[in-house]
Amino acid sequence: MLRAFAQAFRTPDLRRKLLFTMGIIVIFRIGSFLPTPGVNYANVQTCVSASADNDVLGLINLFSGGALLQLSVFALGIMPYITASIIVQLLRVVIPHFEALHKEGQAGTAKLTQYTRYLTIFLAILQATTIITTARTGVLFGGCGEAGGTIPVISDDSAVTILLAILTMTAGTGLVMWLAELITERGVGNGMSLLIFISIAASFPAALWTVANAQGGFMTFLLVVLLALLLIAVVVFVEQSQRRIPVQYAKRMVGRRVYGGTSTYIPIKINMAGVIPVIFASSILMLPTLLAQFGDQNAGWVQWILRHFATPASPFYLITFALLILFFAFFYTSITFNPDEVADNMKRYGGFVPGIRAGRPTAEYLRYVINRVTSAGSIYLVLVALIPTLAFVLLGISNIPFGGTSLLIIVGVGLETVKQIDSQLQQRHYEGILK
Amino acid sequence: MDALRIGLQVILVLTSIVLVLTILMHKGKGGGMSDMFGGGLSSSMSSSGVAERNLNRITIGTAVLWGTAIVLLGLIEKFAV
Repeated sequence: MLRAFAQAFRTPDLRRKLLFTMGIIVIFRIGSFLPTPGVNYANVQTCVSASADNDVLGLINLFSGGALLQLSVFALGIMPYITASIIVQLLRVVIPHFEALHKEGQAGTAKLTQYTRYLTIFLAILQATTIITTARTGVLFGGCGEAGGTIPVISDDSAVTILLAILTMTAGTGLVMWLAELITERGVGNGMSLLIFISIAASFPAALWTVANAQGGFMTFLLVVLLALLLIAVVVFVEQSQRRIPVQYAKRMVGRRVYGGTSTYIPIKINMAGVIPVIFASSILMLPTLLAQFGDQNAGWVQWILRHFATPASPFYLITFALLILFFAFFYTSITFNPDEVADNMKRYGGFVPGIRAGRPTAEYLRYVINRVTSAGSIYLVLVALIPTLAFVLLGISNIPFGGTSLLIIVGVGLETVKQIDSQLQQRHYEGILK
Repeated sequence: MDALRIGLQVILVLTSIVLVLTILMHKGKGGGMSDMFGGGLSSSMSSSGVAERNLNRITIGTAVLWGTAIVLLGLIEKFAV
């Protein structure tokens, strides 16, 4: 395995791609620490340490690798791009024009991507404005750092400064989007997911360190690390497993040549939707708490939301989370894999599943198999997403260092990237990193 | 010092707008959500035309200028007060 790594660096083509990717990652990390003009860096640090255990911003902050609470130029990170992709993807169900574009193939997809990019900038303006204004009024840091107070986060409270900060953050988000695209285009792996991966991985050691220091001491720390390793092993195992539906292609003559006659299979992964249901569910669950931030803190509904949704350990939160994941797992699988389309394509090229007639019966068979496989997959997703939270509650650790979401993302992206490096390696050698 | 700061702020505003516009002018290669987590192997064609290459140069130049302006503004903020 180590030899494969060495080989990856000895191949000039691959070495260039790897170095390029690393360079982009370095730029991304530097930008995550560069404070936005107008923001007082020292005061931000004071406020961050004062409100470290704010659960609401925990997840957003996790996705941005700690950049959000630093109010850096890349504070929004890759999140607007992800949100925009999700929205465009979901709008395909609602707007017929989008579905038509998607079916058009390469050109249509390019147009959809372009829509996603415009939407990203729009969302970036919106979110940057929200963050800057909440930081100015002190809501962002839980009542710390308001303008005109003793330690103002925004040093000079004029309209020009605030507009400048918003503009800079928007441009920063655009730059992150471009960096992600550059990685996809010239580096290894998918840029967008790789940048989330980097952000989450960057905050991992610090989170583990707080566990070791603050609560329980060394034994708890060891237990947490063991749990994480075990979960990673399980996730790798399940992500790699798939159900293979055999497909036989009929032989046919076109002119003097014979086509087909091969037998292949349709691979159906147990967890076809990947980590997306978990991301959807957690971003939706974030909404009520965000709403509550703007309400009157003593009102009944605000109190109710804070009691049930602000802490991941409350049973109400856990059940809603589980139900949302189950729903989105099925929903997303049905969006990405259309049995009718697959059956139609198979029929057109003379393929059939042995024992089942081509056309509609095949589509129904595929739908039956997918529903059953997804049932298992969605339950697995719920378990992986909830086990860390439950375990931390049982261990009595109050602030949760990492959730199942981050583990799933890390393993999923890691596997995908290694697979891509592997396939590039195999163009020259036969042995890759994965056996 | 004030003149320098205002000058840098103007540069920052201009480069921010240009940066967003040039980035939006690129052809998106993101691929969207479908191949974000565990999609198929997407064959990436890195061949880009002359227009795209020039656009890349402009974007990189603007980004460097943008970053420098931010760093300088940060330094002024830190040492001027």
